Amino acid sequence: MSNTVALNNESHRNLKVMTKRGAAFGELTHLVPVVANELRNLVLEYPVCITKDPKNGQFSLCALLGFEPGENLFLHGDNWDAQYVPMHIRRQPFMVGYRNPEAGPGEDKGAVITLDMDSPRVNRDGSSADGMRLFDDEGSNTPFMNEVSDLLGQLMGGMESTTAFLKFLADNDLIEPAHINVQFASGEQKRYEGLYTVNDEKLQQLEADKLVYMHQHGYLQAAYWLSASMGQVRKLIQRKNQL
Amino acid sequence: MSDPINSVVILGGGTAGWITAGTLAARFNREQEEPVRVTLVESPNVPTIGVGEGTWPTMRSTLKKMGVRETEFIRECNVGFKQGAKFARWTTGADDEFYYHPLVQPEGFHNHNLATHWLGGNTSESFSNAVCPQEALCEHNRAPKQIGTPEYAAVANYAYHLDAGKFAGFLQRHCTENLDVRHILADVTGIEESETGDIAALRTEAHGKVSGDLFVDCSGFGSRLLGGHYKVPFRSCKDVLFIDSALAVQVPYEREDSPIATHTISTAQNAGWVWDIGLQSRRGVGHVFSSAHTSDSAAYGELARYLKVSEGELDRLGVRKIPIVPGHREKFWHRNCVAIGLSAGFLEPLEASALVLVEISANMLAEQFPASRAAMDVVARRFNETFLYRWDRIIDFLKLHYVLTKRTDSRFWIDNCDPATIPDSLQELLTLWRYQPPWHDDFDRAVEVFPAASYQYVLYGMGFETQPAVHGVSRASLEQAGQLFQQKCKATQQMLEGLETHRDLINKICRHGLQKI
Repeated sequence: MSNTVALNNESHRNLKVMTKRGAAFGELTHLVPVVANELRNLVLEYPVCITKDPKNGQFSLCALLGFEPGENLFLHGDNWDAQYVPMHIRRQPFMVGYRNPEAGPGEDKGAVITLDMDSPRVNRDGSSADGMRLFDDEGSNTPFMNEVSDLLGQLMGGMESTTAFLKFLADNDLIEPAHINVQFASGEQKRYEGLYTVNDEKLQQLEADKLVYMHQHGYLQAAYWLSASMGQVRKLIQRKNQL
Repeated sequence: MSDPINSVVILGGGTAGWITAGTLAARFNREQEEPVRVTLVESPNVPTIGVGEGTWPTMRSTLKKMGVRETEFIRECNVGFKQGAKFARWTTGADDEFYYHPLVQPEGFHNHNLATHWLGGNTSESFSNAVCPQEALCEHNRAPKQIGTPEYAAVANYAYHLDAGKFAGFLQRHCTENLDVRHILADVTGIEESETGDIAALRTEAHGKVSGDLFVDCSGFGSRLLGGHYKVPFRSCKDVLFIDSALAVQVPYEREDSPIATHTISTAQNAGWVWDIGLQSRRGVGHVFSSAHTSDSAAYGELARYLKVSEGELDRLGVRKIPIVPGHREKFWHRNCVAIGLSAGFLEPLEASALVLVEISANMLAEQFPASRAAMDVVARRFNETFLYRWDRIIDFLKLHYVLTKRTDSRFWIDNCDPATIPDSLQELLTLWRYQPPWHDDFDRAVEVFPAASYQYVLYGMGFETQPAVHGVSRASLEQAGQLFQQKCKATQQMLEGLETHRDLINKICRHGLQKI
């Protein structure tokens, strides 16, 4: 499926990457992983839920783009109808890999930027008219590559702080199942299982020292954003009804 | 208020003592402004028995109520999931013969009795396979839940296999660190009585007098307070249940990633049976037998043959011999002293009844905890009535496994079927069940230990014959049963597809943990 290699300015000197949006790039998905440090932007447009990774049962954050697998109500052709597109979508086909993934805290994991060579976004020989080059002829980063590098930096930092944030919520019983019952204009009713959100009631009752801790780590704001974003489900229903 | 009960002193630091301490303390802390004080006195010199590695599903709510994280329990007590028991060679003694007593009830069991339809169906499918998915899960070594299933929640009902020694230590840490239970390590040198005859205090060497208002005897087979001090007589039931000896051994897995069985395997022998329990890092295996029907050395040989090792190799594994005196005290609560655990009695390891009795005893004590000394005698009388009933039902249920055998290859099995050894209460049920299958109303559900489903699984697993419904079965009932059988098939298929192997799930839990919700 994927063919991930470490990026280097020799073998990838001429390679181009397509930056358009579209179904062809695997963007027809109803859930997209997001990180806590983009919540500020996300919650203005998307419901953001907590989900469980079926592979390891751990909590993660996801923006809801549709109501069933393969449904992205924000994507119309090559237009993504929102002011803000989640970083996980924008980073494709890049990711960060580690040369030494088992390194302990404080040790260097040897992070490198990787690239999925089989992604439809990749034009290996740079022959396509579209797309962005990563390196110039001398092998220096293009401005686009610098943007990618920044984005990945934000994403990796965000993933770490998201894990810590969700662990804090779970340890303090602040996560509860989100009961989402929706009725579409067609009359169709649906109930969604497996989505979680912040337990507002328990958050209100939290002891003062924990609230201070949450505030100092930015968790309090993030928790309220998450909770408020559930209101975006109504707008998502409207999008569905307008189809 | 007169004579309030302000403090409980528990004697004994095995699993019974700590389960009782945790159950009481968690409830007191949750409900009382000034919680009743719980103190556990443990002798540093009395080793715990450390056998008793199977539980009932009740252990899930017992631990949850205490505030234990299931993830930590699984990681620290070498825990495996138990989805019931597989009984091999109990009916005919043939090498390939077995039946299951699963923990999932038959499909639709709360209001529909599928046994009637299975009996009338002339099917070659085993009873447990016909009515519930769990035999298939066990045979395919599937876990009873997914990594995404919250702690204590199940896809298929489950209990645990655990390392009893580690479990006692784990509960001790939880009780002392999180539940404010006071732990005193000291040898008890004497017992002080008040003028009324109640126990006033335990005299200890290292800590002087430990006084209390209510004393719980969790001192094991010694029954230091109830048996030793109050001389409450012991009621033997060796005339019904013959097992009086155990040979226990810990067996390493062949490889680190060997499959872990997700059920207790109980294999009938010449004069007893072998238990085989899969923990994460080893198996716990033991041979229980009747010394009146075989010798220690013959039993040792059978254990070696079961494990497919030579007796020399078995010697090297280190076999412990544990005597069993099957029976219980004539009452369990006398004056201000209540016995919980082995001090109250023990029958045999069959159907893991020991820990479940500890749990339901601790639970009843917590729920009906006497507010004052004046109320205590009333609570004690109820407690004694309830538990005498429960011991009798457990004895009946264990005996049921032996009386249904068709084996005549040894005196042990022949003697077990002698009507003189069968309690009247069991004989009466067997008469009833010749004409109609077990159903909820056969038992007092409020206090029952084993549900009617358990009796069905054992009876029909062992080929007991109940006559088909004399008045036939209505069309509507047949249709409903058909739907239930179909539901069961669908559920089985979904579970086999969605559940990973037992070892894989245990590894994931050790690595990632389960979520609370």
